[in-house]
Amino acid sequence: MDINTKKLKKNAFRVTKRRGLTASRVRVPGGHLKTEYMDIIRRIADEYGDGTVHITARQGFEIPGIRFEDMQIVNELLQPVIDGMRINQPEPGKGYSSSGTRNIAACVGNRVCPFACYDTTAFAQRIEKAVFPNDLHFKIALTGCPNDCQKVRMHDFGIMGMTLPQYERDRCVTCRACINFCKKKSVEALKEINYRPSRNEEKCIGCGECVLNCPMSAWTRSKEKYYRLTLFGRTGKRNPRLGEDFIKWIDEDSIVKIILNTYEYVEKYIDRGAPGGKEHIGYIVDRTGFEEYKAWALKGVELPAIAEVNQTVYWGGVKY
Amino acid sequence: MPINEYAAFLSEIKEVIKHTDLEYTFRMAYGGDVLPGQFFEVSIPKFGEAPISVSGIEDGIIDLTIRRVGKVTNEIFERYEGESLFMRGPYGNGFNLADYYGKELVIIAGGTGVSPVRAVVDHFANNPDVVKTMTFIAGFKTPNDILFRSDFERWSKTAGVTLTVDDAKGEPGYNIGLVTEYIPKLKVRDAASAAAIVVGPPAMMRFTTMGLLKFGFKEENIQISHERRMCCGIGKCGHCKINDVYVCLDGPIFSLSKAKALLD
Amino acid sequence: MGYKLTPEAFSRIVAGLSERYRVFAPKRYELGGHFSDTDIIRYGEISAGSEIIFGEKSAQSFKEALLPITQVLFYFTEKEMKESDFEQKDVLVFLRSCDLNAVKRLDTIYLRNGEEDYYYKRVRDRIRFALIGCPEPFESCFCVDMGTNRANNYDFGVVEQDGTYFVDCKAKDLADLFSAGTQEVQIPPLFVSKTKTRVNIPEELDASVATASMWEEYDGRCINCGRCNFSCPTCTCYTMQDIFYQENGRVGERRRVWASCMVDGFSDVAGGGSYRPKNGQRMRFKTLHKVLDYRARFGENMCVGCGRCDDVCPEYISFSRIINRLSEAMEEVRNADK
Repeated sequence: MDINTKKLKKNAFRVTKRRGLTASRVRVPGGHLKTEYMDIIRRIADEYGDGTVHITARQGFEIPGIRFEDMQIVNELLQPVIDGMRINQPEPGKGYSSSGTRNIAACVGNRVCPFACYDTTAFAQRIEKAVFPNDLHFKIALTGCPNDCQKVRMHDFGIMGMTLPQYERDRCVTCRACINFCKKKSVEALKEINYRPSRNEEKCIGCGECVLNCPMSAWTRSKEKYYRLTLFGRTGKRNPRLGEDFIKWIDEDSIVKIILNTYEYVEKYIDRGAPGGKEHIGYIVDRTGFEEYKAWALKGVELPAIAEVNQTVYWGGVKY
Repeated sequence: MPINEYAAFLSEIKEVIKHTDLEYTFRMAYGGDVLPGQFFEVSIPKFGEAPISVSGIEDGIIDLTIRRVGKVTNEIFERYEGESLFMRGPYGNGFNLADYYGKELVIIAGGTGVSPVRAVVDHFANNPDVVKTMTFIAGFKTPNDILFRSDFERWSKTAGVTLTVDDAKGEPGYNIGLVTEYIPKLKVRDAASAAAIVVGPPAMMRFTTMGLLKFGFKEENIQISHERRMCCGIGKCGHCKINDVYVCLDGPIFSLSKAKALLD
Repeated sequence: MGYKLTPEAFSRIVAGLSERYRVFAPKRYELGGHFSDTDIIRYGEISAGSEIIFGEKSAQSFKEALLPITQVLFYFTEKEMKESDFEQKDVLVFLRSCDLNAVKRLDTIYLRNGEEDYYYKRVRDRIRFALIGCPEPFESCFCVDMGTNRANNYDFGVVEQDGTYFVDCKAKDLADLFSAGTQEVQIPPLFVSKTKTRVNIPEELDASVATASMWEEYDGRCINCGRCNFSCPTCTCYTMQDIFYQENGRVGERRRVWASCMVDGFSDVAGGGSYRPKNGQRMRFKTLHKVLDYRARFGENMCVGCGRCDDVCPEYISFSRIINRLSEAMEEVRNADK
């Protein structure tokens, strides 16, 4: 049997522990899909796999037990799934054209969750469109609010939804719900002055608890959507660590631009001699220094006036 | 244009009498009609309004005995003779003195509850002939909490007055015990026709009215005063509503037969 | 009989009226909802008929047109108080039948329970009403059982049917606005006569129901947020607030803001006293105010069955269901007495 494993991996298949069998990895940007695509995945698993499917940590599907010789037919069967999720594809019928940049994961977001500050799936799909089929090893995740159910701080790019609370003082009836909820569930950014809440702008994390709990709509969400962007969290063997804050109150366009800039930066600085030519971005930044990274990342980025950029970023984590 | 009921007038502080650290009587210039048991919304701009019951009525002067318990009253305590307070009122039904004429009258008050009945006691102590008898039982926590000390001496000349404290703190010469202990000893000939007024903290009023009923007083002849949050004083703001009554309009004085049906 | 108007004609007429009146109507506040990417329908000033939302119920009522959420009563310095100004412009409010019946309840409290309320009166004297017809009841409406599905004290009524507006004009001075260029036609009904949600207030209901066990359930379910009160067209409570401005500590204002008997602090008295600590007790207090106490005092129920409290409760507590539990609760209380 002669298989080019490098090509196979780039085509989103895997070398598995069982010789001769592979697994197909299906991208589901934003982790939300129409059930019709599950029917296709099921059919592939039943007819070409072992009748099981694994829901991956990154919200994709992995269909195990596929014979190498069936890869092409599986790719053809996957075409409606690839089209339906609007995955960029240079050659139709050939499956996924790369796999290095991992599926973009997201919490359920505001399609369902009351806390979410935006449509996480839609933004994940937008990023997918912008970055795929880049093959560099990037992990991107989005979460609707600072609860971070998606654990985005364990990713290279963590995107956390925020809303900039708007306050209409004459609608306020001093029920203190905002102050109490901010204190109990969030960061105690509100205090009472003259029977009205006063917001500590530095402290506020934009979680929206004040808006959610205001019975009068005195607090409402900003029309603009904002985000917190965290950088270079990672798991792995050498130095697992949480992502640190880079920019608070950043907008969607700037995030996309920064991610694209980072691909250029990595192209320039990656250690070509690394095993498999793969190197986590965080280790590259550790080598070049954050200043250099930042200069590349912010090239041509026009941040909203309110955005707060951290000038220096230090990571901790476990060092083995 | 209609009258703006919320507009307050300035009233001069004629004198400040300090009873305890927490209780002062402010003698205010006021020439209008007012009944004992009625209240005024007293205010200092920036700090707000507080309902204060009338504790004494004289020509051109009303007494407001104020307990320092909050933002507004703290600030009032910073004011001196010659300065002014904003007031509006009087509000509430008050005690109609004529209701007690010709009757045996028992008044029982606890703590600051003495304030709203003081003018009633004063009236009948000064005019002992218009009632058959008047008995006044007043209870305070300790000798330091006693209000209107000098009044008690004066009243005792024409009325049966009992002053008692829960705890004399070692000082001699005080009756010690709760006001309820004096109910069985009341010298009332015909309890069924006698009138009673009970004002004080909720628990004190509960036990005192129970004692009076046991003694033979009739529900409809016992009056109590309800303290509630009276924010507007004119039946609008809703804070003092209990069942179908508004304490600020229909009270604060209620007959026990009405009051017992009221449930917060 | 009435007039038939295109949406454009109707919108234009309202635009014309907005020059003479401050026009309040239910309108859409885009992205104004609690949750992201959601709108909210509530009252606000409008300048064209196209802004009025006919097909959805507003989350809050018209009452802020008569009783501003925050209303300054006086401006003051340390020694002087000056009455607040108010806009000397007549007001036109678009509202449904339930809400028009609620106006009567507001009038009762603000004009007849004790002295007239000066601030309410000065707006009330300048207000006119445009009825929004209801072709269908909404899911939570129970106006028919509350007897508030009809009203006749409006200046004109308008009902939308398949994109056409039908107007019943009662006010002589406004008739020309609608009649110009149109013929009188038969118009669809302005009122519903049946609702899906039904309520039954037991005849024998009295205050003894307070001891029934049903209220305890709400100790745990209710979060005392006050949305039911704030959305209610008949809730009238407020709290006074005095403040001195932060920028200039020598001047300030005395204002009133809406209050809720469900929210902490409502019954606090100076010195630390407080009544109804439990949410179930507050629920009982509110319920009895709406369907018993007010009736005992003024002869009709306060609740007008608009159902907004059901719509806005984040804990899915249904007020109509509470009303419907009262019969059983009364029975429980009576049996306990035996």
